[in-house]
Amino acid sequence: MTRPPRELWARRLALGLLAALVVALLLPVSIAVARPAVTIRVLMPAPFVDATAATVDAFNRSHPRLTIAVTRGPFETESVSDLAISSLLLGDSPYDLLLMDVSWTAKYAAAGWLLPLDDRLGPDPLAGVVSGARQGNVIDGHLWRLPMVASMGLLYWRTDLMERPPRTPAELVAVSRQLQQQGRVRWGFVWQGRQYEGLICDFLEVLHGFGGRWEPDLTPGLGLEQPEAAAAAGWLRQLLVDGISPAAVANFAEPETLQAFETGDAAFMRNWPYAWSELQKPGSHVAGKVGVTTMVAEPGQSPAATQGSWGLSVLRGSSHPDQAVEVLQALTGADSQRRLVKDWGNTPTLTALFEDPELLAASPTLPEQLRALEYSVLRPITPAYAQLSDILQRQLSDVITGGLPAAQAMGRAGQASTLLLESTGGEGTGA
Amino acid sequence: MSRTLRANLVTLVLIAPALLLLLAVFVWPMGYYGWLSLQAQSVFTGLEPVPVGLANWQRLLGDARFWQDAAQTLRFSGVSVGLELLLGLAIALVLHQRWPARGVVRSLTLLPWALPTTVMALGWRWIFNDPNGPINGLLQSVGLATLPFLASPQLAWIAAVVADVWKTTPFVALVLLAGLQMIPADLYEALALEGGHSWQALWRITLPLLRPYIFLVLLFRLAQALGVFDLIAVLTGGGPAGSTESLAVYAYLNAMRFLDFGYSATVMLGMFLLLLLSALLLLLWRRAAEA
Repeated sequence: MTRPPRELWARRLALGLLAALVVALLLPVSIAVARPAVTIRVLMPAPFVDATAATVDAFNRSHPRLTIAVTRGPFETESVSDLAISSLLLGDSPYDLLLMDVSWTAKYAAAGWLLPLDDRLGPDPLAGVVSGARQGNVIDGHLWRLPMVASMGLLYWRTDLMERPPRTPAELVAVSRQLQQQGRVRWGFVWQGRQYEGLICDFLEVLHGFGGRWEPDLTPGLGLEQPEAAAAAGWLRQLLVDGISPAAVANFAEPETLQAFETGDAAFMRNWPYAWSELQKPGSHVAGKVGVTTMVAEPGQSPAATQGSWGLSVLRGSSHPDQAVEVLQALTGADSQRRLVKDWGNTPTLTALFEDPELLAASPTLPEQLRALEYSVLRPITPAYAQLSDILQRQLSDVITGGLPAAQAMGRAGQASTLLLESTGGEGTGA
Repeated sequence: MSRTLRANLVTLVLIAPALLLLLAVFVWPMGYYGWLSLQAQSVFTGLEPVPVGLANWQRLLGDARFWQDAAQTLRFSGVSVGLELLLGLAIALVLHQRWPARGVVRSLTLLPWALPTTVMALGWRWIFNDPNGPINGLLQSVGLATLPFLASPQLAWIAAVVADVWKTTPFVALVLLAGLQMIPADLYEALALEGGHSWQALWRITLPLLRPYIFLVLLFRLAQALGVFDLIAVLTGGGPAGSTESLAVYAYLNAMRFLDFGYSATVMLGMFLLLLLSALLLLLWRRAAEA
C-alpha cells in the first residue's frame, strides 16, 4: 500500500529540516576539527616578554585554538638579532614572529627572511601610526614590519639644577661647567660612547644638530666627509677632554649611563624613553627632578631624535602566516600598546594614544616624546647598514678615545663606507 | 695475502672509526670553508653562493683590519700564554709540595677554570668598571684618579689579558702538576746526595723533564688564545676603537652581523693558517730544544 502523496511530502520536508538542523549544529564543530590548534611562536628581547605578558595571557584566554608562545631572547638588542639569525640560517625557523629593531629590517628583508605584509593588514596599516614611527617599515615598496612601540633619543635634564634645559651644544657645556664648578654635580653630560650601535644613535643626533647628515645617497662619503660630521665628532671628543663627560663614557652603554645619572652624578643624560620610569623608581636619587627634551642643536638647526622603534615581522618560514598576522595585529593593537605605555613606560606608535588622558596621567612625558618623534631621524636604510654602522663605530670610538683627529677619522669612515657601497652595489634607500 | 698486508689492513680497519670522525669534524668543515672562501655568499647575493675565484683572498690580503686584528690576536695570545706559563709553573711547584690542606687548595685553584667564560667576563667587566668597580674603588681610596680600563685602547687589551690569565692559569698549573708527579723522586734524592741545592734541582731536573708537558700546554693554550672570542665579545665587544678585536670576533661579525659568509670563511681560514704557522714554529722550537 502506498502512502498518499501529501503525507510523503510532509515526511520528506521533516527529514530535510532535520538534516539541515543536524548539519547546522555540527558545522562549527566540524570547522573546529578541521582547524587544529595553532601555536604562534614569537621571539622578543627579554624586557618586552615581561611587558607583553598581560596581553599574551588575555589573547590566549580568549582564543582557545590559537596560542601565543613567547621566547625570551637576550637583553641586549644585537644579541637578539644574533640569536634570530643563527636559527634562520638553519633553514626552518622555530619562530613565526620576530620583534625587530628598526635598523635590522633592510638586512632581513634582503636576506629573504621576512614575509611582505602588503595585502594582509587592510588598505593602509600605517595610517594611525605617528610619523616618527612610520618610517623604516616600508622598503622597496613592501611593508615588512608593523611597529609596536616607538622609541627615540631624548635629552634628560635635572629640573632641580636649572630652570630650563639647554638648546645648543655650547649652552649644554656652559651649564655643565658651571654646575661642576659649583660642586653640584660631578659630571655634566653622560651618554653612550662604547663602540656599539648605541654610539651611532647618539652621534646621529649630534650630527644633525650640527647640520650634518648620514645618508647612503650623499657624496662624498655618505655625508661623513663634510665639516659638519667632523664638528659633531670633535664636539663629543671635547666633552671628554674638558671633563664635561667622564673618560669612562667611552665604554658606557645604556645601563652605565642610567646608573651615573640615577645616582645624581650628572646634570644631563642622553637615553631612550624607558629611562624615565626607571628614574622614578625607589632608590633613584633624582626621582621627581628629571625633565626630558630633545637633543641640543646649533642655532638655526633643528634638533634630532634617532628612531629606535621595535616592530613585529612575520618570518617567511612560518607555517601559519595567517594566524601569525592575527597575533601581530593583537600585539601591535591599541589595547596592547595601552598596557605597554601605562605599565611599562614605553612609547606608543598610535597617534591617538598620545592624547589619552589615562596614559598621560601614567606617563607625563608623552607630549615631550611626541615632540621628539617629530624630529625623528633614521639610520641609513640599506642591507649594508650593519657594515656602515661598524665602520663608523670604530672611527668614532677612535676619535672619542683620542686616537685620531675628528676630521681625519670621519674622512676615513666616509671613504670606507663609499668603497663598501660600491663593492656591494648596496644602494637601496627605502621609503 | 702476505702477512704485512693483512696486518696493514687490520690496522686500517681499527683506525677507521677515528679517521671517519676526523673526516667528519675536521676535514669536511675545512673543505667546506675552502669552497665558501671562493664564493660570494652574502646578503647582497640573497644568501646564494656565487663563484668569485680568489676575490675574497685578495680582499683579505689588502684588508688592514684583518692584519690589525691578526697582530692584536697574536699580541694577546703571546702575552697571555707567556704569563700563564710562568704563573702556572709557580703554582704547580707550590701545589706539588707536601703541606696541610693541599688537597683543598688544589681544588680551589681550579675554580676559575671551571667558570663559564661569559660569566667570568661579565664579572671582570664589573671589576674594571670606571668609577664603580672594586679596582677603581681601591685607587680612589688611596687618593688616586680612577683608570678607564675598558675605555682606553692602551689599557683595554691589558684588561683582557688579565682576565684571560686569571681564567686559564689553573689549566696550565694542572697540566704541569701532572708532569711534576711523573718525575721520579730518586732523581732529586741523588742530586741532594751530591750536594745540589733546590735551584739546581729546578734547572737540571724539573724543567728539562717537564719540557714535553710545557710544549703540550703551550700548544693547547695557543690554539685557544688565537681563537679567543667569548671573553672579548663580552668584555669589550672588540672596542674601544677596535683595539681588542680578535680575528674570531671579526669573522663572527662578518658572518652574523654583516651576513657575508664568503668573506667570513676566508677570515676563518686566514686565522687557521696563522694558527698552523704558530704550531709549526712551536714544533720547530721543540725539535731545536731537543737536539
